Amino acid sequence: MKQILMGNEAIALGLIHAGVDMVSGYPGTPSSEILGNFQKFRDKNKLEAYAQWATNEKVGFEVAYAGAISGKRTCATMKQVGLNVASDPLMSASYIGLKGAMLLISCDDPGFYSSQTEQDSRSFAKFARIPVLDPSTPQEAYDMVKLGVELSHEFESIVMLRPVMRVSHAREICEVDDGLHVKANEGDFERNIPRWGAVPPAGRFRQGLEQIDRLEAIKAWNWDHLIKPKTHALKGENVLCLTSGTGDGYVREALSELDIHADVLKLDMPYPLPKEKLEALFVNYDKVIVFEESFPCIEEQLSSPKLYGKLTKHVHVIDEFSKDKVLSAFANAGVIAPSHAYKSEKYDLELPKRPPNMCPGCPHRDVHYAITKVFKKKKSIYTSDIGCYTLGLNQAAIDTILCMGASISMASGFSISDPDKTVIATIGDSTFMHSGVAPLINAVYQNHKFILVILDNSTTAMTGRQTTPERTNPHQIDIKRIVEGCGVSCHEYVYEQDLNKTVDFMKSLQEMYKTATAPVVAVVREFCVLDKENATGRLGNVVVEVDEDKCVACDSCITNYKCPPMHYNDAGKMEIDPFLCAGCGSCLDVICPTDAFVKKEEK
Amino acid sequence: MKYQIVIAGIGGQGAVFLVKVLSIASAIKNQKCLGTENHGMSQRGGSVSCYVKIGDFYAPAIDEGQADLLIALEGNEALRNIQYLSKEKGVIVMNAPKNFPKVDFETHSIDAFKKAKANEFPIDALNVYMLGVTLALDPHFPFTCKEIEEAIRLMNAKVADKNIVVLHQGIDDAKDNK
Repeated sequence: MKQILMGNEAIALGLIHAGVDMVSGYPGTPSSEILGNFQKFRDKNKLEAYAQWATNEKVGFEVAYAGAISGKRTCATMKQVGLNVASDPLMSASYIGLKGAMLLISCDDPGFYSSQTEQDSRSFAKFARIPVLDPSTPQEAYDMVKLGVELSHEFESIVMLRPVMRVSHAREICEVDDGLHVKANEGDFERNIPRWGAVPPAGRFRQGLEQIDRLEAIKAWNWDHLIKPKTHALKGENVLCLTSGTGDGYVREALSELDIHADVLKLDMPYPLPKEKLEALFVNYDKVIVFEESFPCIEEQLSSPKLYGKLTKHVHVIDEFSKDKVLSAFANAGVIAPSHAYKSEKYDLELPKRPPNMCPGCPHRDVHYAITKVFKKKKSIYTSDIGCYTLGLNQAAIDTILCMGASISMASGFSISDPDKTVIATIGDSTFMHSGVAPLINAVYQNHKFILVILDNSTTAMTGRQTTPERTNPHQIDIKRIVEGCGVSCHEYVYEQDLNKTVDFMKSLQEMYKTATAPVVAVVREFCVLDKENATGRLGNVVVEVDEDKCVACDSCITNYKCPPMHYNDAGKMEIDPFLCAGCGSCLDVICPTDAFVKKEEK
Repeated sequence: MKYQIVIAGIGGQGAVFLVKVLSIASAIKNQKCLGTENHGMSQRGGSVSCYVKIGDFYAPAIDEGQADLLIALEGNEALRNIQYLSKEKGVIVMNAPKNFPKVDFETHSIDAFKKAKANEFPIDALNVYMLGVTLALDPHFPFTCKEIEEAIRLMNAKVADKNIVVLHQGIDDAKDNK
C-alpha cells in the first residue's frame, strides 16, 4: 500500500509493523513526531501498546530496555543530544544484551537546525559497540525499522536507527505493509542474576567477550546480507564512493546530473563494518571517497592509502551535505577539475533578520523582560536552559545555555565563583522534570544562593507540545510540592498579561533574595499560547497600534521586549503587524518609555 | 519529469501545509515526490523554508542554483532564498508590495497582505491563495487546478470548500493583476 509519509511517520508505522508494542522516549527535534505518531496509529487502530513520554532520555531508555529483557519488542526515541543523557544505560545494556528486541532511535541534526551540537550518533553506536542502521529516505527508514527490530531479536543486541533531520522531516510516497499484524506480546522476565545483575568484574568480563563475538557475527551478517548483494551492481569505474544515509542521495544526484563516472556503494549499516572484505574491494579502484554525515564513522573503521574523506581533509567536516560539497570533494580528491555547477548568487543587500523568536503573546517574553528590568545586567548573571525560553537570548535575557538542567547547577557554580552578582536561573517545567530536580537538591543542601524561576506552561512546547508529567497525571505531580520537598519554599505567580504585575513579582523575589541563605525558588504558572484549550481568553482581545507622534524610535521595545509583530515602517516609526499580533496587549504598559503603544479597540 | 520547488515564508503562514498538498498532488499524478520541512526552532515569525522535489530524486534537500520555482509567502523571504533558484529557468511567485526590489529572475508578485487587510480573503488562507496565484502565473507549474483541488480535498475534507474558494480567488486576482 502506498502512503505519503513524513520520515517520522514512516518510522512510527514501521514500529507497528515490526510488532513493537512498547515505546518510550523524550521529545527533541528532529525525533519528536515518532512517539506521537505511534500513539496516533495505535489509537486509530485500537492496538494494545504502551507509548509514553518519559521524564528524560535515560529514563525512557531504561523503561524500554526492561521491556526488552523480559522478551518484548520495544523502542526508545530521542535526539542525538538526548542520547548523551541515555548514554550511561546504553553502555551497560550493550554488554548485557537482551532477549526480545530493542530499537534505539537517535535522530541527528547535521547543520545544527535545532541543536546545540552536531553529533553523529553512529559514533556513539561504535563507542557502545552496537550495530547502527543509517536510512537515507522515509521509505528506507520504514524498511530499516523492521530490519533493525529483527536484527535486535536475532543477535540479542540493541540496534540503533540513526535518521538525520533530512530523513525525519522528509516527506515521500512510501510503500508500506497493508495489514496490521500486531498483537500485544507478553513480557515474561526470567530471573538470571549472572546476566541481568552481573557485578563487575567477573560477570561483566565474560559479557564483554560475548559482546565482541556478537559484533563479529553482525559484521559477517552485514557483509553477507547488506553489502555483498550490492557489489554486483558495481560497474568497475576508477572511483568508488562509499556512502551512508543522506550522503548517498547527494552523491547519486550529483553524479547523474553532471555525468561523473564513479561507482557508488551505500553502506546501510555503517557500524560494524567488515573491514577486510571492504578493503579487498579497493584493489579495483584508484580512489575511494567516503561521503557520510556528520563524523568520519565509516572512514575511521577503514584504512587504505586510496581512502579520501574527512580525516584526509578532502570532504567537509562540519555542516550538512549538499551536492556542491560532493563536487568539492571530487575536486579535492583530484577526480574532476574544480566546478561551479551548483554555484548561485545570493541577494547581497541586507534583509531584516528573523532569528527564531518566542511566539507573539508568549508569557515567557514577559518573564524575561521583567527579570532584566528588575535585575540589572551589570549586577546579574542569567543562566538558562533548553526549551522555548532559550529564545530569551533575543532579549539579551540569557547569559549561558549548556545542556538540559544546567541552568540550576551553573547558577550554583556562579553563586560561588562570582558572589557579588545575583544569579537568576530560568528553566521550563519539562526541563525541570528532565534534569532540574537533582541540581536543585544539590543547591539546597549546600546552601547556594541564587534565584530560580521555573516557567511552568505544562507542556513541552518547543518540540510540538508533548505532554509533561504534571499535565496528564492523576496523582498531581506538582512542581511547587517537588520544590518544597527539596526543602525550600516555592513562590507561585499565576501569570497575568499586565506586565506591571510580573515586574512586581520579580521585585518581591529580589527582596527575598536579600535575606536568603538558600536558593529563592519561584514558579510562574501560565499556558502556552499554542495550547488552544487552556490559553483561552488570554489572546486576541486587544488590538494595539503605535501613536506615531509619541514614537521616538528609541529601539527599546524591539531590543528588550522583541515581539515579532514589532517593526519599523517607512516613516522610521514603530508599527505592529496585525497578521502576527496575537492581541495579548502585554506591550501596553511598561515597555515603551514614551507610551507610544496604545489600545486601538477591544475585539 | 523533474521539478523542484522551494516554499519560503515565516512561521505561522502554513508553508508545511503547502508541502503536504503538493506531495498529495504528486501522488495523484503518479509522480515520485521527496520533500523536507524545517521544524523546531522556527517559531511564529521566524524564517521557514521547505522543499518539494517531484520526479526521480534521491536527496530530500534542494541545492543552491537548482530550483524551478520559489513560492514566497512573504517578499523578504523570497530574497533570502533566491540562491536556490536555477539561473536558467527559475521563477519566483511572491507576496510583495508593488515597489519591491527587482531581482534578475522571472518574477510574479502580488500584494496579498494588502488584499487580506482589505478583508478580500482570510489571512489564514494566505498559503492556498498564493498557490492559486502560482497556478495562474507559472506556465511550467506541473499541476493542474483540478489536481490541486483534489489534493486539498484529500488533505482535509472539512475545510476544503473554503480553501478552494480562496484558491480560485488567487487564480482570478493573479489574472487581473497581469
